[in-house]
Amino acid sequence: MDLKLDHHSEDRLTIVEVEGEIDVYTAPRLRELLIDLVNKGNFHLLVNMEKVDFLDSTGLGVLVGGLKRVRAHDGSLELVCTQERILKIFRITGLTKVFGIYASVEEAKEAHGRDK
Amino acid sequence: MTEHTEAPTVGMGGIRDVVSIRLPAVSAYLSVLRTATAGLAARLDFTLDEIEDLRIAVDEACAMLLTQAVPGTDLTAEFELTGQEMQVRVEVSTVGSSPPKRDEFAWMVLTALADDVDAVTDSPDRMAIVLRKRRGAARPA
Repeated sequence: MDLKLDHHSEDRLTIVEVEGEIDVYTAPRLRELLIDLVNKGNFHLLVNMEKVDFLDSTGLGVLVGGLKRVRAHDGSLELVCTQERILKIFRITGLTKVFGIYASVEEAKEAHGRDK
Repeated sequence: MTEHTEAPTVGMGGIRDVVSIRLPAVSAYLSVLRTATAGLAARLDFTLDEIEDLRIAVDEACAMLLTQAVPGTDLTAEFELTGQEMQVRVEVSTVGSSPPKRDEFAWMVLTALADDVDAVTDSPDRMAIVLRKRRGAARPA
């Protein structure tokens, strides 16, 4: 299983759809996409990880890097994730306190709308 | 799958249940090693959660080693299966060797998911990480 990436914008929010395995081999592609989106002025990112089968610390590093970039523009990077095996990695590293993590894209959009 | 086979234990007839895998020391092959890890852990009747922990732990150990591996060399993984435990030793060729940084995400994840982890950095041209996971050893997530 490779990594599939897609993205689309809704209002000011850019939703990044990630499917497959995020490891040291595939993570650079996600990093490039996040950098590209920020460089093009997309500062509010929502990464949907519901179809991610595997995530390791390299993927965490990419997400943290993306968060730093959007924060430099007063932006946000939040996640949609309900898979326990993925959430476990965020808990181990303490990153559940760093990222906003939502149960669905709809829930994240509602929260984002309230924060505007 | 309904077939059930008990993995042989060390000492049974003097057989060591050891599987060795040699792969190019490049990240593209890590998914292959993860799959092999899951298959071997299933042989020991690890739970799905334990298999997933091992898959991630082996991945993290290899990802740490690959940053120091000499280009064009191989990564070796040796899985030793006993009745209750799997020990995995992953090793690469290096030029010099530095211990893993303990504050890195990779080390945090690796040590949280495996029961024991040792980094072997006493050789100037080899570096290895040895991890062990026991079946049914409860650990806080």
